[in-house]
Parts: sequence; structure tokens; C-alpha cells
Amino acid sequence: MGSSSNAGVFAPGALILAAVSYGIYRGLHRILARAGRYSHVWHPALFDVALYASILSASILFLEHLPT
Amino acid sequence: MTTWITRNGGRVALTAAMLACAGVLGQSFWDYYMNAPWTRDGRVSADSVRIAPQVSGTIESVDVADNDFVHKGDLLYRISPESFELAVERARTTLDSERESMEFKASVADRASRLKDAGTISAESIEEALHDAAAARADVRGAEVALEMAQLDLERTEVRAPVDGYVTNLRLRPGDYAVAGSPSITVIDEDSFGVTGYFRETQFERIHVGDTVRIKLMGTPDTITGHVESLGHGIADDNGATDAYGLPAVDPVLDWVRLAQRIPVRIEMDRIPDRAFLAAGMTASLTIGDTPDPAR
Repeated sequence: MGSSSNAGVFAPGALILAAVSYGIYRGLHRILARAGRYSHVWHPALFDVALYASILSASILFLEHLPT
Repeated sequence: MTTWITRNGGRVALTAAMLACAGVLGQSFWDYYMNAPWTRDGRVSADSVRIAPQVSGTIESVDVADNDFVHKGDLLYRISPESFELAVERARTTLDSERESMEFKASVADRASRLKDAGTISAESIEEALHDAAAARADVRGAEVALEMAQLDLERTEVRAPVDGYVTNLRLRPGDYAVAGSPSITVIDEDSFGVTGYFRETQFERIHVGDTVRIKLMGTPDTITGHVESLGHGIADDNGATDAYGLPAVDPVLDWVRLAQRIPVRIEMDRIPDRAFLAAGMTASLTIGDTPDPAR
């Protein structure tokens, strides 16, 4: 896992990915809510947490496995 | 009860499936992030040779500049040679005098031996003459060695580089006094550049000598490949220090949170890219290739 540099300050790549993942999660959440899919979900909050965790883990694993 | 399950079974199953998905992904993420042998805390390291003069004296000239590249045998600085030249001269005169005295004593001994046959000299005098001649020969040898020593000291007023490398942090000026045995100049050995990675003890199960390593220097896009050369076998233990009575000073702990110790791992670079700038102490991110990583 690399670091990203902004004006000499190095932040862990995972931190950036966490922010990006949050954006993706918000988008997905909105789409699902608009489509009324949350009526098929037992605990919306629990589902959301699991959704975010999946997106974050998947993106980190995916990026790390890209050939650099 | 049955009605609740028939009504909500699908919803519970969907949520549970999402949770299971998060659990599996999260597990492998954690495994990669926390346990896989990679670190951002690698440092470029190199061996430095601290060069001390073998004779004391005032520095007459410094023949290198800071950060210069020097080859083995290149002149670094010169200690004022006058007194050492005089010492050589003095040793030479001593040698001359000892030789003269040896020749004289040899001829005395020779004459005494010849007079012995005539019976005009005591046995004691002969013995004394032979002893004097032998001692004089030894004195000559001593004076020869003293001359060689003086010549060696004179040569040592020129301090030369013992390895190929870079002069670092040069603070020497002409006029400084160089003391024999106290390091005055540091040369970083060019051939000794490597990387030291500090890995958590929990990662060592997955680090082996010979594993390939991807090295990324901070701020550069290139990846340098290397391999694990050796593992460190000791770090300082804070509890090992003894007090005035020779008892170990053991710190009390609140043992809820424990931090993994970090052990240095020595990594050798397989090939140093020509355009890469390396300085001892630079930061490097390291990934040991043994991890499940198709990027290798």
C-alpha cells in the first residue's frame, strides 16, 4: 500500500481510499433508496455499515493487486 | 412466529448476506493490511568509514571537498610533514652513528681475537670485545627499524581513502589539529548501500532470507527490486538496564495494549537504477514479495 503525497505531506493510501469509498457508498445508498430497495432490508443501518465495509475492503484489495 | 419468519425471512437473509460479504472482504483486507510483510518505515543505509590519522599534527591541506567521490587510495588530507621529515633525518644520523660504532667495535673484537693467539690479552677482555661487537650489531638493527618507523610516520602524514565512496559532513579545515586515533573524516562506502526495513515481530513468520522485496523510495515513482539479505537478531530491551546496585530496572506495565516490537531486516538492492539518487537515511516503502501479490 503506497502513500500519496500532497505538497510534501504523505498520507497513507488507505486514508484516501476510505474517503473515496465513502463517496461511492453514498451514491449506491442513494440509488438503492430511490429504487425503494431498502424495503427489502431488515436493518438498514446494519446493511449500510456492511455495504461500506465491503466497498472499502474491495477497493483496497483491488488497488493493491493492480500491477504497479 | 412462523408468520414473522415468512414475512421477514427474505429481508433478514439479504442483510445477513451483505454482512457475510463484508466479513469475508474485511477479513482479507485486515490480513493484508496488518499481517502482510510490508512497511513504510524502511531506511536507506550505508556503511561509513570513520577515518582517523595515525599520526598527530597540524593539517596542512585538505585535498577533498564535502560530498566528493573518492577512490580507494585517494589523498584526503595532509598533515604538516616538517617534524616527521626531521624525525627521519634524526633516525638516519642515529643509524650512521650506530654503524660507525659497530665497525669500530667489530675491529676491536677482531684485533682481540688475533692477540689471543699471541697470549698477550686476558680472556675477559676478549669476551668483552666480542660482546660489545654483538651489541653494536643489534643496535644497528634497532636504528634501522627506528628509521623505517620514522619513514612510515612521514608517509602517514598523508591520509588516504580506504574505500571507494563519498566524503560526508566534512568539517576539516587546514590548520585544524589532527589527533592520532580520533576520527576526523567520514567516507560512506559506495558498495555498501542497502535498505534496512523495520518490520513488526508479528510479520516475521512471513519474511525469509532471499525473499524478493519491492522497494519504493519516498517521492519517486520507480520500484527497485531487492531481496532480503539477513534478519536482525537483536534489539535493545528497555528492561535490561541495571541500577546503581546492579539490579534490573523493570518498568511496571498496564498490560491491556501491547505494541509489537520492530526488528530491522537488511535488504540488498539487486540493481540500483542509474538515475536514482541514494543517500543513507532516505525513506523507503518496502513490500516483501512473499505476500500473495500478483503485482510482483
